[in-house]
Amino acid sequence: MINRALYKREMRGSVKLLVIFAAVITLYVSIIITMYDPKMMEMLDGFAEMMPELMASVGMSAGATSLLGFMISYLYGFILLIFPMVFCILRGNGVIAKYVDNGSMVSLVAAPVKRRVIAFTQMTVVVTGILILISYATVLEIAVAESSFPNELEIAALLKLNVGLLCLHLFISGICFLASCIFSETRYSIAFGAGIPAFMYVMQMLANVGGSAEKAKYFSFFTLFDPEQIVAGESSAMVGICILFFGSIVLSVLGIVVFSKKDMHI
Amino acid sequence: MNTIKLENVTRDYGGGKGIFDVSFHVNQGEAFGFLGPNGAGKTTTIRHLMGFLKSKSGHCTIDGLDCWKDRDKIQQRLGYITGEISFFDDMTGTDFLRFLASYRGIGAKTRQKELLERFELNPKGKIKKMSKGMKQKIAIVAAFMHDPEILILDEPTSGLDPLMQNRFIELLEEEKAQGKTILISSHMFEEVERTCHRVGIIREGKLAAVDSVEALRKRHVRPYTVTLDTQDEAESFAKDFGGVRDGLTVTVTTKQSLEEIFMHYYGGEKND
Repeated sequence: MINRALYKREMRGSVKLLVIFAAVITLYVSIIITMYDPKMMEMLDGFAEMMPELMASVGMSAGATSLLGFMISYLYGFILLIFPMVFCILRGNGVIAKYVDNGSMVSLVAAPVKRRVIAFTQMTVVVTGILILISYATVLEIAVAESSFPNELEIAALLKLNVGLLCLHLFISGICFLASCIFSETRYSIAFGAGIPAFMYVMQMLANVGGSAEKAKYFSFFTLFDPEQIVAGESSAMVGICILFFGSIVLSVLGIVVFSKKDMHI
Repeated sequence: MNTIKLENVTRDYGGGKGIFDVSFHVNQGEAFGFLGPNGAGKTTTIRHLMGFLKSKSGHCTIDGLDCWKDRDKIQQRLGYITGEISFFDDMTGTDFLRFLASYRGIGAKTRQKELLERFELNPKGKIKKMSKGMKQKIAIVAAFMHDPEILILDEPTSGLDPLMQNRFIELLEEEKAQGKTILISSHMFEEVERTCHRVGIIREGKLAAVDSVEALRKRHVRPYTVTLDTQDEAESFAKDFGGVRDGLTVTVTTKQSLEEIFMHYYGGEKND
């Protein structure tokens, strides 16, 4: 089902991006976790009270008391959503649409390799990248938290949270991959692969502001990933994660089918 | 036996673009030239054979296998040079060829080294920085290295200098001698004249003629008979113009080059 030569080549192509995003995540995660401090919390809560809309729109709300609550407020509203998402967009587009657009897909299809093997391999490359990023973030969070605030972090809850985060990003990568398989031109692949998740994120930001804008949450799959509820072990949050997970499988399979059936003018 | 076979393949892009009702075949062990001006539909036809495009109507087979459904099986024994070359620019030529070998799963039994020497190609260095000719040589090596039985070559010598074009034609002759089936598309006649036995001419998406090179030539040869005043004149006339003398009359035949025959099909005037 997977072509190892292609997988190796494409993973090599992911390395540079992975290093950059891992570096960015390292920077934010370590700075934010070490910022955890009840006094600081009061200050941030003060900000949140002064300008609740602005703070809420980026997912930061007042009243995060535990270390995990603090991390949810300041990492899971923006940083850990956006950076892996950008990775999905770039690689999702890069593994299929880019090659079809610039014609180098010829080398891959003019060989005794089934198209579904090509597509599955390329999808696996994106998924592997996401797995690496989220696993790295998890290890980093635990390491930084344990060294700065021993025994403060509820590790089991964090793991559950990050499984949810992983499912969310698998779903996003599914969208990007499908767009990449459908469109033969990079600009359309990017327009949809980046446009849909970005639009949904903006909807989520709107919904966070509250009031009548809260209805916007029904137009965003980000709603399915609810960190507080996951940590609290709410079953509705688990359902959300499952929807994201199975949704990602559907999107990926759809992408593979589309790629196998598509006409290629290369 | 027909190795490559197209039956009434049509793909209409609208506005007169596309290919319409294209049917021809290439026998096993035969070299077939597929000629036509730019934009006539050569590449579109080849894309159908390669399984890149699904025919809207009609169908094409290679060795009895459907070009769309069984494309991966066909590719096992097929070598292909694309008309517009685009490789993974981030790789060096060496890496790219090594990648292709392991991607195709052909391991160590490749003709790579021999081909690189034949075309005097040093593939170290990024593909991005290579000239058109060098990329073309890489494409040739990539198409021949797994020693395929069937070759589909879309304008294979574009970008090559005359010396290398010659070497390529020699290579094709060797392949032909080994009984390989070859389809070469080109917009230039010289490219196929030496290797191909039969040619098909496509124009505006429609197959204008399929015939042997010889028959095409013959059809367009015109004899003229000239009567001269004296025996001497007749003799020297026959000598100068390569005619056949019979008493005072000399018969000369125009040796219309296939190039001109082509122009005839390309040009759009009705035949005769």
